[in-house]
Amino acid sequence: MRPLDIEQSTSTPGIRFDAAQRVLKIWGESYPENSFEFYAPVQAWLKEYLSADRTLNLDVNVSYLNSSSTKCMLDLLDTLQEAHEGGAAVTLTWRYDLENPRSLDLAEEFQEEVSFPFAITSYQEEKP
Amino acid sequence: MDLFQLREQFSTEGILMCFNGPFSHSIIEEMGTAIRNHLAAENITRMAVQDVFAVYIEMTQNVRNYLSSHNIRTDDIGSATVLISRQGERYAVSSGNVMLKEDVAALLARIERINACTPDELKKEIRRQLRSSTAEPGKGAGIGLMEMAKRSPAKLEYAVRDIDGRFAFFTLKTLV
Repeated sequence: MRPLDIEQSTSTPGIRFDAAQRVLKIWGESYPENSFEFYAPVQAWLKEYLSADRTLNLDVNVSYLNSSSTKCMLDLLDTLQEAHEGGAAVTLTWRYDLENPRSLDLAEEFQEEVSFPFAITSYQEEKP
Repeated sequence: MDLFQLREQFSTEGILMCFNGPFSHSIIEEMGTAIRNHLAAENITRMAVQDVFAVYIEMTQNVRNYLSSHNIRTDDIGSATVLISRQGERYAVSSGNVMLKEDVAALLARIERINACTPDELKKEIRRQLRSSTAEPGKGAGIGLMEMAKRSPAKLEYAVRDIDGRFAFFTLKTLV
């Protein structure tokens, strides 16, 4: 499988695939200048991966998604859902900071859109 | 220009930050970081900081998308104004930009429709729009205004002023 490793920036999340664990991690914040351009290679990678390998955990820890990133994330979830319906073992773990309930709201809305295992877990960010 | 007077006016109106000029993604990013740092120092919840930030991002990216997709020059007429001010216990995020006059009526109708929605209707409409929009480069998801309204206890406020035969100046304000 070809590697996927996108470095995090102020307005774009870090995205990395851990081949050994079969985990695709997305973390940081997402409000790119052009969300669709930013997520297009991720979507392409995901489709390619799922056509060959049938196991994946998407691990999301993104504290803010702007509206177009939300749309792109939904598109990624749709791809996972399709694979799930085709018998793939896809799961999602959504991590959010307890002080950021908007992220929980968004996770719950996403959860309603799909039927594969979707875990929401909270953490308490350490105060500086 | 009397900067002291300008400063006095900013302070009377509770203006925390104001930007006026050509608008780019990096300016949106930089100013967003500054707003966050500023608000983090105030005694408000992290959720309130996030809400102000989210409204600011949706608003400024809307303006930037509009200006760039209509090829409105960003050096002079296409510059934008962004203002963050404190209003009692709340914060107001405002933006001002030029618009083609022919686009004004549709935008105002859209804002009125959003203002007429209950929070529940708004949530449903956002979901519907997310589902029906297609991913296109250079375009947003078309839900920025609704995302602003969702985070505001008040209606979206707007004003339009004529500039010339071709352009109008559009101002939008969201209270968070």
